[in-house]
Formats: sequence, C-alpha cells, structure tokens
Amino acid sequence: MEKDFSRRSFVKGMAVGTLAGYFGAAGLSSTVFKSQLLPKEKVNLVDIGQIKGLKIKVISETSWYDNNVFLNDVKKAGGLLVNQYEIPWTREGVKAGYLGDNLGGFSTYIEAELMDGKVMKILLDSGWNPHWMDKRFKEEGIAEKLAKKEIDFQVISHEHIDHFFGIESTMRHYPDIPMYVPKGFYQDGFDLLKGKSFPKANVKNDHPHKGKVTVLDSKQVNVLYPGIALMTFDVPIILRVFGEQAFVFNVKDKGIVLVTGCCHQGIISYMEEVRKKIVGGEKIYAVQGGLHISPFEDWDPQYDDLIMAFNKYGVQKIGCNHCTGFITAEKMIKAGLPVVKGTARHMSKRDIYLGNGDELVIT
Amino acid sequence: MSANALDTLWLEERKLTDLIKQPVIRGILDTLLAFAVFMGLWWVFMDPRGVLRWYTPQYGYMYIRWLLIIAIWQVYIFNFWPFKLEWMEKAHPLKKGLILIAINFAVTGLLVWVFYYNIFGKLAIPYFSWPELKKTGLSDFFSREYSSLAILMMAAIASWLSPIWPSAFENYPWHKLKQPAKGLTVFAVTFLLTTYAYLIFMHPHYRVLFYPWQEYTAAFPWWYNSFHTLSGNFNVGWIMCATVSVWLTETILERYPFRLVRSQPWRGIAGFLFILLLAFILFFSFVFFQDMVWGVSVEGAKRIMAPDWRYLHTGELAVILLTVGLVLYFYFDNWPRKFSTEVNILIRVAITIVVAVGLHWAYYKYSHQLLGTQAGYSHPQQFPMAPVILFINVMLYHNWFMDGWPGKRIKREAEAL
Ligand SMILES: [Fe+2]
Ligand SMILES: [Fe+2]
Repeated sequence: MEKDFSRRSFVKGMAVGTLAGYFGAAGLSSTVFKSQLLPKEKVNLVDIGQIKGLKIKVISETSWYDNNVFLNDVKKAGGLLVNQYEIPWTREGVKAGYLGDNLGGFSTYIEAELMDGKVMKILLDSGWNPHWMDKRFKEEGIAEKLAKKEIDFQVISHEHIDHFFGIESTMRHYPDIPMYVPKGFYQDGFDLLKGKSFPKANVKNDHPHKGKVTVLDSKQVNVLYPGIALMTFDVPIILRVFGEQAFVFNVKDKGIVLVTGCCHQGIISYMEEVRKKIVGGEKIYAVQGGLHISPFEDWDPQYDDLIMAFNKYGVQKIGCNHCTGFITAEKMIKAGLPVVKGTARHMSKRDIYLGNGDELVIT
Repeated sequence: MSANALDTLWLEERKLTDLIKQPVIRGILDTLLAFAVFMGLWWVFMDPRGVLRWYTPQYGYMYIRWLLIIAIWQVYIFNFWPFKLEWMEKAHPLKKGLILIAINFAVTGLLVWVFYYNIFGKLAIPYFSWPELKKTGLSDFFSREYSSLAILMMAAIASWLSPIWPSAFENYPWHKLKQPAKGLTVFAVTFLLTTYAYLIFMHPHYRVLFYPWQEYTAAFPWWYNSFHTLSGNFNVGWIMCATVSVWLTETILERYPFRLVRSQPWRGIAGFLFILLLAFILFFSFVFFQDMVWGVSVEGAKRIMAPDWRYLHTGELAVILLTVGLVLYFYFDNWPRKFSTEVNILIRVAITIVVAVGLHWAYYKYSHQLLGTQAGYSHPQQFPMAPVILFINVMLYHNWFMDGWPGKRIKREAEAL
C-alpha cells in the first residue's frame, strides 16, 4: 500500500461511501417498487361540479394528408425543434392532399348540457388549412353557429400549426369570440391572432381577433362552468411549442370525460393528474381526441409502456383519433382497450377510430 | 500515474509549461475559449436555427458520440499512432491539432457512412443503416433517427469499455506490444466486448421499436419487470453513468482507490468493479433525487413522469457532473493538489458537485435561447447529452491534441532539465 493511505482517510472514505450507498439503495428501491413503499401524498381535491350530458363532434382530425411530405418539410427545415412559424410547409402538388394541399387541421365541436338545462357550445381549436377548415365548418354547421354567435367560446388546446394556424376560419365569422389559450403561447401566436402574417410558413390571418383572450396556467384546475374544467400542462412540445390544455367534464352518473387536442402531456400523465386533483377523478369514463402517441406512425418502446399501462385505468370508451396514430390504435385494440370505431368519411383514412364528422355522445 | 504502472500514455508523460502564468485567469480564459469554439461548432452543425441543423436530435448526437470515442481511441488506445511521439513533441499545437481533428472527423464519417450505413447495416442488421431502414418503408426522418440511436449506442458503450483497458489494466497483458499491434489488440478486444454489451443492453430495445415486434430476432427487454419500461433508456442511463465514472476516476479521482492494488490483472479488475459500483451509485442516486423532486415515476406516463426518461436523465445529470470535473482537471490543473490524496479528491468532488448543480440550473434556464434546444426538462428534443458532450469533445481536442495551447505548451527538453 502507498503511504498516503492512512486510517483516518479510510474512515473518511467509508463515510462518503456509506452516504453514496444510501442514496444508491434508496434509488434502487424507489425504482423497482415505485410508490408502494412511500406514504400516499395528500392533496386538496377540486370539486368541479357536474353536467347532464355531452356531445362531442369531430370536425376535422386529419391534420396533414401525407406523412412523408410533412416529415420531409420538417427534416429539410432542420428537424422537430425548428420554429413552426419558419418552416415552408408544402401546400401544393400532394396527391393524397385536399385539392393538392397537404394541410388539413384539427377541430372539435362540443355541446355540454349543464344541470339547469342550458347547453354550452364550445369550439376546440381551429385547424390549419383555411380552405379545408372553411369547408368543414360549413358542412358541419359551425360557420353558421359562429356567425350567429351561438358558440360560447373557443379553446385553443396548444399553439401547434394544425390546431391554431387555421384561426382565420373561426375569425372570419366571429372575430370577437371569447378565447382561452394555455400558458406558454409565444408572442408569434398572439400576433397571428391579431392579424400578423408569416409568409415563410404560409400562414396568415386577415380577420384580427377582437375579443377577450384568457391565458390559463397550470397552477390550478380552471373551472369554467359547473362540470366543465380545463387543465393546463407545462409541457415542451415539438416545433418549438410550449404548453397544452385539455378538458375535464364530469358527466352525472357516468364519470369523468377527458377531451383533448393533441395530449402532448401524455394520456397517462393526464389521467394521473385528474385522479390527483379532481373529485371523482378515479372514475374516468371516457377519453376523446388526439392522444399523441404515433402521429407519424413512428414508434418508441415507451409507447408500449403506455398501452400496457392504459388498461389499469378502467376507461370505458376511448374515442381517440388524430395524432394517436394507426399503429397505436391497432395495438390498443389488440390489448383489449375499448377504442370507438369511426366511419372513415370526409377524408379520414380509416374507420379504426373516430374520424371527421363522427360523434361521441355521453348521456 | 502510480509509480508501479505497467504502461503509460504519452499524455501522462507529456510535460507542459504555462504560457499564461496566473492559473485562475488562465483557467477562465481556457474555459471561455473552449466554450466559444463549442458555440461555433454547435451553430454550424447542430443548432435547429443554425447552418446544418443536425440536432434532430439523434442524428447530430450520433456524430458527437463518435467524435468522442474516436478521440479516445486516438489517444488512449493507439497513443497517437501513426504519428511519432517525437513529432507530437515538436509540431506546433495548431498544426498538430488541425491534423488530429481532421483525422477524428474523417474516421467518424467513414465509420458512419461506410461501415454502418453500407456494410454492417446492409449485410447484417438493417436498423444500423439509414438507407436500409428507409427501404423498408419507414419515413426518411425516423429511419435516420432510429439508425442514429443504434450507431451512437455502440460509441456510448465503447466509451465506457475501451478506456478501462489502458486506464485500469494499463493494457495488461499486452503492455509489452508495440504500436500499432498494441492498439489494434486492445481495440479488437474492447470492441468485441462492446458488441456483446450492445446486443444484451440495446438490441432488445429494437425488438419492440418496430411494428410488429421482432420476436424472432431479439430478446424481450429483460429489464421490464423490475424497471417498468420496455425502453432501452434504462440501459442508456446507467451505461452513461459508467462512462462518466471511467472519466471521473481517470481525472479528478486519480484512479483512486483501485490504483492501490499492487499488481495486474487485479488492479484492472478492481478498477472495472469500482467503476461499475460508482456507476450504479450515481445511477440510483440520481433516480432517487428525481423521485424526491418530481414524485415517483408512473408506468406509461410521458415526459418527466416517464420511467424511461428518468433513467435517461440520470445519464444527463452524470454528464453535467463530468463536464465540471473535466474543466477542473483540464483548465484548473486538477486543483487542489497540496493535501493528501483523499483530501484533494474530496475537495474536488465537493467543488464538482456544487458547480454541477449550478450548471444544471443554468443549462435548463438558458439552453432554449442559447442552443435552440427544447424548453423545459423533458422532451425527446431536449437532450443535454448532445451539447454537453460536444463541449467535452472540444476540451479533449484542446488538451489532448493541442497541449492546451495558447494557455500552455509542451516543455522543451532544455527547460525540462
Ligand atoms: Fe395535433
Ligand atoms: Fe400538437
């Protein structure tokens, strides 16, 4: 042994080693046994109230028509982190597209009947390609409802291209519609709302928004009306977007119904938050909307983790679509999850899940 | 290193003299210089707002990992062969640096584009080749991402296993061989081990990555039941911690305590086990800290609640720790050196941990603006290992290839006497 090795330093070394060993062992036990060994944390549950029933109509879930064209736009621009306002999105010459345009969009129309019988009419998101969205809004009677100011408010789930860039289609009919956006919106997003155009990304809004914009943050459950709430998640998202919000409805005699745009926060994380924060959260009856799992038919073993865990939550109806992905839907069905079938109309490609014009009614 | 070492590297024998005398000023200037070069490289090659935009993130990260392991091979395994050590002493650091960096880049390109894309991926395992994967009908973008992850994991495992031979085993039992026989032997042995390790720790990830599951060609992720994820990120995390352990022991820990073992191969075996133990301590401690801050992860959840991301993040935490350790070692002369070995090491470890906490905070506060990476902690595009390892590469180029010039240079023989 070398001479600098003394008994005192050996003791010191042992002390450091023991401390390190303690953290290591603690980590190993919480890794393997998860929360089984920890006391349950106590939180104050929020009672959001109840509604009588809910009608959810898919206006458009087809955000783009050719995955490869979309991904090539992204790849050419430098990958999934590039600012969405600076990517030249392909809008011509796409065979599978709508009149050659690769862009579609995402939008959902919701009617929620309050306990006093009043029906709240809500528009979630405004799609992407204004031509496509104008057509869909007209076909489903949304344009008319907007023009008559029958729709109570619009919620933008998150700032993504396919949910927000088609804002003109809403604004041209009802420029002062009250609007809720999640915390994390960039200035670019507010500018687009106010009428700025972004020629590089081929997006504009010639009908500036004149109504009230409410920014909701993640600190609390945002109860809008009895039985209708929004939860915001501070989640980093591809194409330089940050933050997403999603609905929590509490339907009498059924349970909680979650309605999402893309669900970038992850459906399991979302359900966990609902369980943790909302009265009745342990009984989630249905989930509707994009679940952002394999939007490009890409895969990651983490998504199998998700499908294998999904069954533990006892959800009775999964009205997924959009960025959920077909591979995911096939795997979910194989895993015995109750995916609601669609009808594959209005350019929705398959009937494996809810498509454009399909409806999920919960009463 | 220790007086009874079997084999030493040119790097250990190299004597440097300070051109900038004041050590703190030199250290700060050197760190800033390395950072400036890093920012330039990041902007040209990686930044999503920059020129080539390879940080997608796996594609750019793949190159960064290979640049690192090839630098390790150049210096630790081949001891700068085919260059004569005489030339290494005499050539101007700038000239030497440019030539060695050019070789570093060229070998990386050759390995990725010729070996992986066109030989190994074409003739053996398609997921090692971007063009081959694309032929199966996968999108161009994800073909590149998936193949990049596989290729970079080879480099990641190699940067844990390769340096153990020169560092812990002192190249035993091949210490008497001459270059390039010694380098080739150690390279062949460690790369064989790397390949087996890859097949055990990473190949099962690819069983579940493709649809349908590739059950005839790869084992089921055997870690699933204990560690609650199918993702190979579980192994990525602890292997990253192991890589960091190797380099911490090699630098601020001065190969302590395993260098106290008197003879080979026992010293090497002790070193290997010590590094593995340190890796597991780092790994599970980091998991524990995250569980304390964010709550225990949930199976199937995404982002910060996902078990697989938590594992990945241990690697990210470890590499941030290593960066600070390396700055202390390279630019602040491994301060302090005046107390007993144990005290020196304890002080260094304490400094490293404290500064690393600060760096971690600064990284997540400023990287979104500065590097164009994703905001927030957890996202597939917020991948601190890429920029942090590129910064480490720059430090290695500067110190290994360029003798720390212009802060330092090699001592001429006359001065050494
Ligand atoms: Fe979407
Ligand atoms: Fe989205």
